[in-house]
Amino acid sequence: MAEHFRGELPRLLRILAAPAGFLPLGPALTLAVRRFAHRKPAVFDRLGEYGKCSFLIEPSDLDFSFLMVPDGVRAEVKCMRGRTSQPADVTVRAPLLVLLGLLDGTLDGDAMFFNRAISVSGRTDALVALRNAIEDAELTPADFVGATGGLGKLVDRSVIGGLGLARRFTGSPISGEPS
Amino acid sequence: MSLELVCPAGTPSALRAAVEAGAHSVYCGFRDETNARNFPGLNFSPDEMIEGVRFAHAHGAKVLVAINTFAKAGAMDAWKAALANAEKAGADAVILADLAVLDHAATHHPNLRLHLSVQAAAATPEAIAFYADTFGVKRVVMPRVLSVEEIAKLNAAIDVETEAFVFGGLCPMTEGRCSLSSYATGKSPNLTGVCSPPEHVAYSEDKNGTATRLNGFTIDRFGAGEQAGYPTLCKGRFMAGGKTSYLFEDPVSLNAASLIAAFAKAGITALKIEGRQRGKGYVTEVVRTFRAAVDAIDAGSTEVEVGRLLAGLVEGGRQTSGAYKKAWR
Repeated sequence: MAEHFRGELPRLLRILAAPAGFLPLGPALTLAVRRFAHRKPAVFDRLGEYGKCSFLIEPSDLDFSFLMVPDGVRAEVKCMRGRTSQPADVTVRAPLLVLLGLLDGTLDGDAMFFNRAISVSGRTDALVALRNAIEDAELTPADFVGATGGLGKLVDRSVIGGLGLARRFTGSPISGEPS
Repeated sequence: MSLELVCPAGTPSALRAAVEAGAHSVYCGFRDETNARNFPGLNFSPDEMIEGVRFAHAHGAKVLVAINTFAKAGAMDAWKAALANAEKAGADAVILADLAVLDHAATHHPNLRLHLSVQAAAATPEAIAFYADTFGVKRVVMPRVLSVEEIAKLNAAIDVETEAFVFGGLCPMTEGRCSLSSYATGKSPNLTGVCSPPEHVAYSEDKNGTATRLNGFTIDRFGAGEQAGYPTLCKGRFMAGGKTSYLFEDPVSLNAASLIAAFAKAGITALKIEGRQRGKGYVTEVVRTFRAAVDAIDAGSTEVEVGRLLAGLVEGGRQTSGAYKKAWR
């Protein structure tokens, strides 16, 4: 289903994005999540015991995936090339732009599920807890790179603007619009 | 203001989103079994409720706290604490269903405004008069089994405000009386605040599509590309008489936007949007759309277009006006 869902990155962008799988994304994201946990511990309180669960995030239009254990200041994110048989408590699969839309609250998780834009398996309770914690976190792109002040605002404006353009270009769903 | 728009908030950020999108009131609950949306990671701590009420009041909106499950016999402490915390936060009203909780609120928190939850399923003048006379209930949330004409007749016979659901998830059962979830999982919205608790829900994919299981029972299977619904038994597909179908109700969302003018004429005070389990994207879009619709009706329009604007947010990709226009009675 997700393989043919509109909103996936075009072939050229997929090819251009492929080398990203060789970058040290795992350590960088681990650092970003831990830094965020220091700044906003309440987000991880909301996750409770589910912070120790493992979440396999598979962008359906990229050839790499992420395994995350969002355990606050002990959080770990691994980036893996190719499709993995890595065991995880929860697996979420969707086009990259949909996953990013869920992360920043632009898109509604239930609506994406109804529209079959995402597929999930594993522990539904852990996934629901993570979704609700992310919803309340009000994450911005600056949170991921640790930028604050004027630089943070610049990062947010640039990335959010870029994502908006990318969604329009790829036909990715926007909130309220049928897919 | 002719009609009050009562909007859902499952988290503090959803509360802020609802207020900023134009909610007149926001309803929310504490992070425990005292409210009927007791899902992992959802709801408010007592401190978050204080901050949420402060934010809403600063923007001219009200906060209604749902404490609308049925208290456990001999173990009412959580419900008592929720009432005390709602009052401490400065809530504008509490939404209750259980007789013991209503009695405790009326006796120990006389300054709290009491609303009767849809979970109480009060649908007759006699039942509503009992809650109003006994506990001082000021508003009743209408069960989603009544037509607009029936609500109009009811309003003519009672002295309290009424609130009607206008958009969102739709229960085909009489609220507060449904035990379907209990049969399969041992938990229900009435007692533990969850219908189809997520720890009992599992999705699996194979060549035929996605199967939904509730505590091991397969309750539906969606083909590739087919719209999906919530994993509740009432919206599952089962075989009966040799035919597989949605036995109780299709996966479909309520959308009564076309009836807003009729609701006002029927004497309804407030319109409620369902969806405390939904994200900020849903809250922002639905609240903004309905606030514009309510304002348009207020300004003299007779009909508003809402269905197309919100088509991507509804369960099963379909919308209905539910029992409000029912013709079968």
